[in-house]
Amino acid sequence: MKISYQWLNEWVDLSGFKTSQEVADLLTARGLEVEGVERQDAGLEKVISVQIIEKVKHPEADRLSLCKVNIGKGEDGTSQYLDIVCGAQNMKVGDIVPLAQVGALLPNGMKIEKGKIRGHVSMGMLCSETELGMAKESEGLLILPEKTPVGWKIADVLGIDDTLFEIKLTANRGDCLSHRGMAREVASATGKPLKNPKVNALDFKNSPIKIELEAGEDAPQFFGCSINGVKVGPSPQWLKLRLEAIGQRSINNIVDISNFLMFEYGFPVHIYDADKLEGGIIKVRRSLKGEKLPMLDGGEVETTGEELIIADGKKPVGLAGVMGGGNSEVSDSTKNVFLECAEFNPTLVRRAAFRFARRSEASLRFEKGIDPAGHALAISRLADLVIKVSGGDVVGSGKVQLASREKLNPKKIKTTVQYINQFLGTDLAEDKILNILTSLECEVKTHGSEIEVSSPSYRLDLNIPQDIAEEVARSIGYNAIPTSIPALSGLPKTNHGNPLAHRLNTIDEMKDILASEGLTEVLNYSFQSDSWIQKFGMKSSVKVLNPISEEQGYMVPSLIPGMMKAYQENERHHFGSDPLAIRLFEVRPVFQAPLDQTIEAKSETDTGVKEHWVVSFLISGPRYDQAIQSERGEVDFYDLKAIVENLFDRLATKGIRMRAADAALLDSTAMDKCSQLYHSGQSMQVAVGKEAIGFFGRIHPKLEAELKLRNTVYWAEFKIDPVISLTPMKERAYKAWSSFPTMERDFAILVDETVPAENLIQSAIKHGKPIAKIVKIFDTYKGAHIPEGKISIGIRVIFSDDAKSLEEKQVDQCSEIIVKKWQEEFKAGLRG
Amino acid sequence: MSTSISLETIQSGILEKGEAALKQIQQSNTLADLDQVRVSVLGKKGTLSEALKALGQVSAEDRPKLGALANEWKSKIESAIETKKNALEILEIEASLQKTKIDVTIPSRKKHAGSIHPVTSTIRKVSQVLGRIGFDVTVGPEIETDFLNFEAVNIPKDHPARDMQDTFFMGPGVVLRSQTSPVQMRAMRAEKWPIRILCPGAVYRNDSDATHSPMFHQIEGLWVDQKVSMSDLKGTLDFFAKEMFGSETKIRLRPSYFPFVEPGAEVDVSCAICGGRNHKCPVCKGTGWLEILGAGMVHPRLFELAGYNAGEISGFAFGMGVERIAMLMHDIPDLRLMFQGDQRFLKQF
Repeated sequence: MKISYQWLNEWVDLSGFKTSQEVADLLTARGLEVEGVERQDAGLEKVISVQIIEKVKHPEADRLSLCKVNIGKGEDGTSQYLDIVCGAQNMKVGDIVPLAQVGALLPNGMKIEKGKIRGHVSMGMLCSETELGMAKESEGLLILPEKTPVGWKIADVLGIDDTLFEIKLTANRGDCLSHRGMAREVASATGKPLKNPKVNALDFKNSPIKIELEAGEDAPQFFGCSINGVKVGPSPQWLKLRLEAIGQRSINNIVDISNFLMFEYGFPVHIYDADKLEGGIIKVRRSLKGEKLPMLDGGEVETTGEELIIADGKKPVGLAGVMGGGNSEVSDSTKNVFLECAEFNPTLVRRAAFRFARRSEASLRFEKGIDPAGHALAISRLADLVIKVSGGDVVGSGKVQLASREKLNPKKIKTTVQYINQFLGTDLAEDKILNILTSLECEVKTHGSEIEVSSPSYRLDLNIPQDIAEEVARSIGYNAIPTSIPALSGLPKTNHGNPLAHRLNTIDEMKDILASEGLTEVLNYSFQSDSWIQKFGMKSSVKVLNPISEEQGYMVPSLIPGMMKAYQENERHHFGSDPLAIRLFEVRPVFQAPLDQTIEAKSETDTGVKEHWVVSFLISGPRYDQAIQSERGEVDFYDLKAIVENLFDRLATKGIRMRAADAALLDSTAMDKCSQLYHSGQSMQVAVGKEAIGFFGRIHPKLEAELKLRNTVYWAEFKIDPVISLTPMKERAYKAWSSFPTMERDFAILVDETVPAENLIQSAIKHGKPIAKIVKIFDTYKGAHIPEGKISIGIRVIFSDDAKSLEEKQVDQCSEIIVKKWQEEFKAGLRG
Repeated sequence: MSTSISLETIQSGILEKGEAALKQIQQSNTLADLDQVRVSVLGKKGTLSEALKALGQVSAEDRPKLGALANEWKSKIESAIETKKNALEILEIEASLQKTKIDVTIPSRKKHAGSIHPVTSTIRKVSQVLGRIGFDVTVGPEIETDFLNFEAVNIPKDHPARDMQDTFFMGPGVVLRSQTSPVQMRAMRAEKWPIRILCPGAVYRNDSDATHSPMFHQIEGLWVDQKVSMSDLKGTLDFFAKEMFGSETKIRLRPSYFPFVEPGAEVDVSCAICGGRNHKCPVCKGTGWLEILGAGMVHPRLFELAGYNAGEISGFAFGMGVERIAMLMHDIPDLRLMFQGDQRFLKQF
């Protein structure tokens, strides 16, 4: 909203302020944020009035004229002249027009330089209204009145020397949506009186048009006034200037004056052509479904039965609070008018404005609430103004009010000085507080320590003691409030053994571990397109009903689609032959609801949508960030597996199970969901108990080809809450190691290559108990001297006893058992 | 009896052979050469040993004299060998160092360095700073009920304040939370005051351009107890601003309106880049101030909805955009960089 300095100054004396910026700072400090202060003549500093002395056709171009203009007297007292090439057609010798001189930077951004147009020098540009920023469209040059002085600044000539404040008003301060409202704030702050204009109060008698209320409390009051004998025409200059200054286009004197009243008093009003109202009656009622109402803007709305409408004896004539009807519009031939100033339910106005996409300055004010006690004054002022700009006489006026509006009970808010000081942390004297409240037009009574505040009717936002404290705070200035640190009552909350704290700590730890594994944390949007999600063989069960675009239409069931987007983003901007490592991770929730059901709140706190937090990561490209080519390597499945293992090891998570994805699965249904993601021969399932919590492995070659990836991707995703539940809250406890020497045996065994190495290890541990402590694969070999389908595996078993030195014989016996079991269970034999 | 050799002859023999040996030692260039000299002189059939065999042929009275001379030369030679050996060994190590020299300026074999997203690190930093004065972190779901997202923070249906946030809807009564405030109500409903919480997390608004992202992050703080005052809010934010942006930082509160607080405030911090001295400062646009958060005293309506007795307590709340803070802390020019997953950007933090 724009507020004019000059208009405001008519309402309250601003002479105490040194600059307009000081006014802006005061308003901002009071919670009426000034976003910008703009001089109206910005861009017009180098535009002056000039008189055309000569005008001849450009010899080379039919549409151009060569003009000599008088730019006024120079320092020596003689008239100065400039040559200008001009493309406009509407000027003649003797006309006085605006000239943008060389160096001007016009409001539309155009910079004026010395130019040569088809061989003729032009020392500036003669301007139209559009070029001066005064109109959106205009034809030809702006021709100024005959007696306009030559050589004056155009802003002075046009009287556009105002300064405008751009105000960002908060939703609770509807009372400040006018110059009067803003002036009240300035008056309260400065102690200067409000300069109310003299108003001839209407008597609300003898209305020739009968007013009826048929919408109950949704339209509790309606004031009308009939003025006959008006003359519709252009607005006087003062009115045009006021409206144009705040960005409103001038239409005619009647329309303009109703807008003026709205920006002056804050009351949206409407003026009808009284002769177009039929049946001698006007009323407010709920619409019927399907009524057709032509609108002022040329369109038509079909009512739904929800909105309030204004109707005469025969037809709807306006959408209450939103826009007047086209069938009762004031036109050039209008003689008699009917003024309306009424109150409508803010919610109904708001809904109607949204429903018919016609939010307007009027509806905005109704939505925020209008002073319920100000209608009589507002319509009286309007009547004065209408007569002032268009002539005519009041022939009668009327009002209808429900009981709730006939006698308004002022809200009484009870509080104490002590409460206000305690709540704000201040130490203000009672006098000071009472003065502030009185300056805000509150009535204040004191009963002992209690103060009773009756707020003015226009302050719909003052209802509770906290509101009163706020009025005090913003009047003294928030910066006058001291600072303190809140006292801890009782001990800080303990995080020891607190599952929530444990969960958040573990998530943080996971992120740090993954970062230390050389992965970069990303944050991807939680919504992706349906088709992109489906590319990964998944389906979103949670749709965004009003997405910005289909690209962001569905909540993700997995982080993998977003990770792949981020992967591709990195691939896309990578050029040259240097290999690119892309290593990303994300820890975020994914979303799940019963498929194909409408999502609907089940209670105040239950949405029916489940959120699972998952960790997702991927690696691709060289194994080292930097190394010479022969040593750089390419990541493969085992690099990925190492990250998974390190993650669990460093978290000290116990009880995570991992199985080859093509083996008999712990949870066979889980793989169905991921079968398009992973290479079945190079991936593993992660499980807790029997439940699969995720997978990791090489990307499925089909998907890799479809996505045209430059590198093979190895990726992982699993739920984190089951991991967190297996991650101990307790600190790690020290474990002693055996002080006796260990013994070791190496075995080279030949076995079917389909036997998972892990099974050989588990078997050795199981049958070598209790002395076979560590079993590890130290080598694998296939090829020459090894039969087809077999593999040679080097296995080292490390034996120890916690209580005594081992004897050779003991180790030999145990080794024999292990080898025998390998033979029995896996048909594995020692290589000769 | 064999003819006795004269003492002089033997003495000069030892002398001659000794001198020759010393010369040979000096001329040895390798440890192997030196060892050969050692054998040829001191070995069983070495020249000095041979010379000593003649000892039996001299008279008993001369024998000790000759023995002393021989031993003297023996130890002289041994010591010369040892000295030479040490010198040769040093040379040999030098040579082997030269041989195994590498170009140490060739780039290292470096592992990948990962990184933590600036949004995460900013949330951590804010939590750590405010944790010092007693706040604990808590979280909640991102898909929320309309009730918790709006009504529970005093924004009923058709309230003009709903214009402030363009919300994504998932179905009747279900929204993508447009603020982290639902967590506050969940926390208050879960336990009695005192409440001292920070709620970080992703929020969503239907808005996308250079300065708005449809998904971004907020941190809200809530402190509820007996006799909490607005000066407590100011002190908390002052401490926060100084810890985050430097001890010179000042804060400025301007009255504003959020339906869930009364009074409400917009909070600016002084521009750490220009200190308000550069009227062309690109960060604060010359104003000297940066708007970083909204705050206020908790509206009593929220206490009623939480089931608290609003008469017993008061509280303050504040909320900030995490990306905005991160952008200020790291000089990040464009919000969209946060969500593009671009390693060139993310690996800088």
